[in-house]
Amino acid sequence: MQVKLEKRYVIDAPVEAAWTLLRDIDSLADCMPGASITEQTGDNQYKGTVAVKVGPVNTAFGGTIEVTELDESNHSMALSAKGKDKSGTSNASMQLTASVSAADGGGCELVGNSEIKVMGKMANFGARMINGVADQLINQFLTNFSNRVVAAGEGEAAQAAAAKVAEQPQALNPFTILWGMIAGFFRRLFGGKDAS
Amino acid sequence: MATPAEELKDPVEGVGCSRKRKEDARFIQGRGNYVDDLKLPGTVFGTFVRSPIAHGKVVSVNKEAALALPGVLAVLTAEDLEPLSLHWMPTLAGDKQMVLADGKVCFQYQEVAFVIAEDRYVAADAIELVEVEYEELPVIIDGRHSMDDDAPVIREDLQGQDAGAHGERIHHNHVFRWDVGDAEATDKAFEGAPVSVSEDITYQRVHPCPMETCGCVSDFDKISGELTVYLTSQAPHVVRTVVSMLSGIAESKVHVIAPDIGGGFGNKVGVYPGYVCAIVGSIVLGRPVKWIETRVENLAATAFARDYHMRGELAADKDGRIQALRVNVIADHGAFDACADPSKFPAGLFAIVTGSYDIPTAFARVDGVYSNKAPGGVAYRCSFRVTEASYLIERMMDVLAQKLGLDPAEIRSRNFIKVEQFPYQSCLGWEYDSGDYHTAMDQALEAIDYQGLRKEQEEKRANGELMGIGVAFFTEIVGAGPTKNCDILGIGMVDSCEIRVHPTGSAIARLGTKSQGQGHETTYAQIIATELGIPSDDIQIEEGDTATAPYGLGTYGSRSTPVGGAAAARAARKVKDKARRIAAAMMEVSPADLVWETDRFVVKGLPDQSRTIKDIAMAAYQHLPEGLGQGLEAVEYYDPPNFTFPFGAYLCVVDIDRFTGEVSIRRFYALDDCGTRINPMIIEGQVHGGLTEALSIALGQELVYDEDGNILTASFMDYFLPTAVETPHWETDFTVTPSPHHPIGAKGVGESPNVGGVSAISNAVIDAFAHKGVTHLQMPHTAYAVWKKINELGMNK
Amino acid sequence: MAKKLISLTVNGQTHEVAVEPRELLIHTLREQLNLTGSHIGCETSHCGACTVDFNGESVKSCTLLAVQADGADILTVEGLANDGVLHPVQEGFTEKHGLQCGFCTPGMMIRVYRFLQENPSPTEEEIRAGISGNLCRCTGYQNIVSAVQYAADKMSAE
Repeated sequence: MQVKLEKRYVIDAPVEAAWTLLRDIDSLADCMPGASITEQTGDNQYKGTVAVKVGPVNTAFGGTIEVTELDESNHSMALSAKGKDKSGTSNASMQLTASVSAADGGGCELVGNSEIKVMGKMANFGARMINGVADQLINQFLTNFSNRVVAAGEGEAAQAAAAKVAEQPQALNPFTILWGMIAGFFRRLFGGKDAS
Repeated sequence: MATPAEELKDPVEGVGCSRKRKEDARFIQGRGNYVDDLKLPGTVFGTFVRSPIAHGKVVSVNKEAALALPGVLAVLTAEDLEPLSLHWMPTLAGDKQMVLADGKVCFQYQEVAFVIAEDRYVAADAIELVEVEYEELPVIIDGRHSMDDDAPVIREDLQGQDAGAHGERIHHNHVFRWDVGDAEATDKAFEGAPVSVSEDITYQRVHPCPMETCGCVSDFDKISGELTVYLTSQAPHVVRTVVSMLSGIAESKVHVIAPDIGGGFGNKVGVYPGYVCAIVGSIVLGRPVKWIETRVENLAATAFARDYHMRGELAADKDGRIQALRVNVIADHGAFDACADPSKFPAGLFAIVTGSYDIPTAFARVDGVYSNKAPGGVAYRCSFRVTEASYLIERMMDVLAQKLGLDPAEIRSRNFIKVEQFPYQSCLGWEYDSGDYHTAMDQALEAIDYQGLRKEQEEKRANGELMGIGVAFFTEIVGAGPTKNCDILGIGMVDSCEIRVHPTGSAIARLGTKSQGQGHETTYAQIIATELGIPSDDIQIEEGDTATAPYGLGTYGSRSTPVGGAAAARAARKVKDKARRIAAAMMEVSPADLVWETDRFVVKGLPDQSRTIKDIAMAAYQHLPEGLGQGLEAVEYYDPPNFTFPFGAYLCVVDIDRFTGEVSIRRFYALDDCGTRINPMIIEGQVHGGLTEALSIALGQELVYDEDGNILTASFMDYFLPTAVETPHWETDFTVTPSPHHPIGAKGVGESPNVGGVSAISNAVIDAFAHKGVTHLQMPHTAYAVWKKINELGMNK
Repeated sequence: MAKKLISLTVNGQTHEVAVEPRELLIHTLREQLNLTGSHIGCETSHCGACTVDFNGESVKSCTLLAVQADGADILTVEGLANDGVLHPVQEGFTEKHGLQCGFCTPGMMIRVYRFLQENPSPTEEEIRAGISGNLCRCTGYQNIVSAVQYAADKMSAE
């Protein structure tokens, strides 16, 4: 089962700051609760883990990440990841491209496209929730990313952002995700666009 | 149904009595004996590591961590089974199937390794510790694309083989091509026909889903060299023969026992990898190995049903008289052809596709194909593909009716085989034994006030409401079958009954069929009771233990009554024959001077001179004149001269909520003709159950896969089983047209309700939209699917 | 995993059993107490074949851990009959042909037993809703409804 997501996110920080974080795989992983890089196995290869619960399926994925493209001048990158659950019952792979570009007013815009393929138990029993959960995960990720970028700057806004980064939960909270999905659903129903 | 007064009249409670069931006593007290209830000392538990992907190479399997877990006794892979040549096994369809993944996996949830541990909890832990590396391969899910030029090769083991068990293979994913009928004459008829219609009809992939999943306990006695396997099997003798062939153990030392089975519906006919692995495990470990699958495994990996993509075409004259039928089918068999069909019929008895109609010429072609889904296809009360065939013709009759502006009941009447045409030679090769279709149809139409309903429908349509009336008049073919063309793995499809009467007048009968809820312990006793005058309460019926029951081909395809029941009647008549000679000897008259009255032989013209069967039974074990021989028993292996052809008129009225798409069955009327009715109460129960299964298929069931081969409906969270709330009240009625070739005129009825029910309900839903030009809607008719049509037609404004 | 000792009363008899913390009650009943009347038909709590009467409520024993049953008073199908005399519910199922393969029957009857305590004179609609947590593939429910009506009539006459 395949999930395709396109996200745009406006960040109140300069392009260079966002790019600095975007090209740092370790820090990127820190933006995703439940994820971590465990080892760098080559110039552009890493091993990592992510724990995620989709509906009734609880998984602990372990796998490999390869940065296939890193374009300094265009501030864009691409990575390919694949992993499987330690029980051997689910596996997933993802192709991601992301770039940041300057936006009006001194900030920047992060654009990301991801294609996620899921096989096994997670697809059998989590299929109808995957889109919603993936959406929420990426949203959380983007919020965390934005906070970190802003926090790396100076001033009041940076301090406020740094506080938020410190508060960021270390594990994925399924209730937060579920709540996010429900809230998002109603927001969309009433014509609003949630931050995606 | 026999009234209480009528029942009182039958002192032996034999054929025709709605007597209570003898088997109920143990079930209602929780003393059923199902496979998982068995507790042999020292039993260990086996469970599978299964593939999470639908198609791929198995790069490596690492058992170390699993074997290191305390309580784990063994981890079997294909490598371990190869020296025994058991890593693959033959299927009932002339194909072969992997028992454990041999270099690759071909469907999601395919068996990769078998872990045996002290208990099921340790086993569940252990399967997560087996590390398997896969390399994914592209996947084929839709059978209609299995034979595309760029379709991936699923069966590498068949590469280069351009012929299979059923003839030529035209593509690497092709299984067989099966043709029946006269293609030339049919094409010609179509060319010249004033009217023709065509429709693409898919009968979706579903699963029989009995309440008890499959399982077994295998016990090998090292000292005696005897293998005993208890398993959920509708055909225990066939399994015994297969197990003997696979294991090399003499059939006399293989004991297969099918105890109480919690529903079969065709799911428990074939041999599953679980049985083979448990057997190997029990031989290797010297301990009984129990394998009980979970519901997810049952739905994802065991015998599914249907998955037929059909194109139906009818050619007719302007009055709706059919001139020709043409059918093309892509039959999706999954990754291995494991269909339990009689070996010469790779598409089962699909040639019944001419249905209840007098069709001069027809042609059907079925192409079997492989896909990356679980193996199977023939199951779920289908009578060997009769459900598919019947659905096709019943839908096409409606399509033709619509084209010509004719009423669906009327067009059927015009095309019915007439009562005087029986026995009827269909143009596709069957000889229908008996039928009176017009009487049945008229009775049904009158019972529900069909004309009144059509009037009501007209008024509702004018009001923008959705009401549908579904008509289905099915003829099905059951009772496989005559040994001249019916065999399973070469064994002729007879069935058998052995009767032994005890000195004090009660009896025991053992048969080669196997009930999974159909009430054989009662119905067979009723047949024998009527023949021998012994109260059915005093006749013990046994099935399922291959060590004692005579060889039979099992229970599926509604064959128990037509074949097993016939064997029972014939065996009883052999016993009666000897009883006559004993009675004659006792009364010193000639056997020809005796008349049989209910339970005794009476001397003609001397009513006081008689001997009851009870008297005769005792005498049978005493001194007898020379030449007679003691004992009072007989065995009969019955080779049916023909199939039997039950039929029925089913009418369904539905109301559809035009805002939600929800289909509500307002009324369902089922008239069945199964010939002689052995136990009306049991027949009605079979019809209620079959209609409920039909409802589930028509309105909600489907095994759905995504484009990567992930199964999305592998549990009850997603696979629809109706509860008592969704199930309506079923009205049943009957006519009786006995089978002329059956010893007691009975035809069998178990599968009729699924055959007719799906057509009636589906026709009703589509009929609700007929006035809008809709000719077909794809099943299942879920609320969402129906709503989409409503929305498309703008009927919810 | 270290086992825990629990005490539970089943069909009037009290048992002390050692169970793993993750052991399901249905497994304890079937395998440790040898009460194989209750069955397992799924692993998602839908089918109801495992239904027992638990402290006066119909409970699916596949959805309960054995440790949660410590101190509980449980009735299973084996405890329905009284000294060889069938309970009206059991009688109803036989009289009205409310069973075929018998696999769903124990869970169904135990549910009906409690249902009739909750609603001694139910309508057909109420019966169907009352047993909607128990799946059956053989009977189509129609004769089960009749069996419940029979039992209700018999029990109200007693």
